[in-house]
Amino acid sequence: MTVEEVMREEEAAVAGPIETTDRYKVVIKEINAWFGRKQALKNINLNIKDKSVTAFIGPSGCGKTTLIRCLNRMHEMTPNARVDGQVLVDGADIYDKSIDPVVVKRRVGMVFQKPNPFPTMSISDNVAAGLKLNGIKDKNLIAEVVEESLKGAALWEEVRTELEKPGMSLSGGQQQRLCIARALAMQPEVLLMDEPTSALDPLASSKIEELVRSLKEHVTIVIVTHNMQQAARVSDFTAFMYLGEMIEYGATSQIFKNPEKELTERYISGKFG
Amino acid sequence: MARLLDIGLDRIRNLIMDMATLSEESVNAALESYEKGVMLRPQIFEYSEKLRILQLEVADFATELIARYQPVARDLRFIQSCMDVAYGFSRFGRYAYDISDVLEAIGAIPDCDKSYVIEMANTAKNMIKLSVESLKKLDKDTSKKLYMMDDSVDALYRSYLRFVLTPRDREYAYAEVRCFISALLILRYLERIADHACYISDCVHYIVTADSSPRR
Repeated sequence: MTVEEVMREEEAAVAGPIETTDRYKVVIKEINAWFGRKQALKNINLNIKDKSVTAFIGPSGCGKTTLIRCLNRMHEMTPNARVDGQVLVDGADIYDKSIDPVVVKRRVGMVFQKPNPFPTMSISDNVAAGLKLNGIKDKNLIAEVVEESLKGAALWEEVRTELEKPGMSLSGGQQQRLCIARALAMQPEVLLMDEPTSALDPLASSKIEELVRSLKEHVTIVIVTHNMQQAARVSDFTAFMYLGEMIEYGATSQIFKNPEKELTERYISGKFG
Repeated sequence: MARLLDIGLDRIRNLIMDMATLSEESVNAALESYEKGVMLRPQIFEYSEKLRILQLEVADFATELIARYQPVARDLRFIQSCMDVAYGFSRFGRYAYDISDVLEAIGAIPDCDKSYVIEMANTAKNMIKLSVESLKKLDKDTSKKLYMMDDSVDALYRSYLRFVLTPRDREYAYAEVRCFISALLILRYLERIADHACYISDCVHYIVTADSSPRR
């Protein structure tokens, strides 16, 4: 397949709000979010294709992190915060009263800006923490999942002989990959990454970026980033947000080469923000 | 506050405008040389060399801008197009030199009918001017007009070729052969110059619309 064909396919996959969720892993429908009386998100609609990387970009305070936190019901954990609208994962609304928020967080994992391994736990226990919390006690199974998750996070070769060392003994980049491994251990279908490389050096950042590209074979990834070039490098689709609104969404190649909206062009060209 | 990239964009724009001026001067000199029988080959060679060096400078500088600032959207299209436009201008210089080379090889041809070449030369000079104007103003619509002019240039070239190839009932005189050869070669270079003027306007169209209009 040529690059052009791939791009055409990507562009063809971009669409506005749709009624069916057949082609999309996540469908965001008319999401509004508030912190107290301040509205942080205004009527967001977005379709996220399965096994793709979608980047949220926009200036500070535009609502990127709020939106990503709405995708696994983390926003509502903030005092005085509320959400209105629907987020469908495989067609099921994660805000439906019948849905257990814990199950949502298992299906939709999250990696944060700063690596946050559990400080008192070993590397192995960090990865296995979610499994143990969910009542899994089979040591062989846990060891297997730990290895697979560390391999998935491209960390296994670096830590295989020191699994019992504290997670905090790793470098910043390794700690972030440990957090990714911890998220992968729960076998999420969607992985949310909120500025996952902002605290890392360039080499560690590029490892995370390579990891993002390889993980999308199995997982749908949504990444928030302030680094425009990172969005251009790792994502298939890009959504530009401003003042709580979704200004433009499209194939990354199109957004960075020929955005439709003047505001998007001004932002990605560094003329404001 | 101006972006650092803007300083670079201004510099590359100035380089391109310097090339535009030089390339117009080089083609004008070559055509004046043909019309008036003045030998300007060394001067035109100098123009052509300067254009070649400037083209390399534009390519180097464009690469540096991309590496340093990772421009996107219109900025990226502009830088990318500057490299193509610089190539176009360097071709103008090269064709001007080729024309002067033909004149040097053929020698003085004061008695030739130069009307075909002069007509096409005027169109080609206008096309260069228009392409440069479209670049200065970033006017995406000039390309349509240039392609129409290019059609007339092509038609003129073909018509002269047919004229030369038409069987006659007598042998050509040596002087006539020199006229035909010089005119045909120069018309061919002018035809290429016209093509490059169109390509430059294609670049402008691409900068403005992101749509790379397919060359015919």
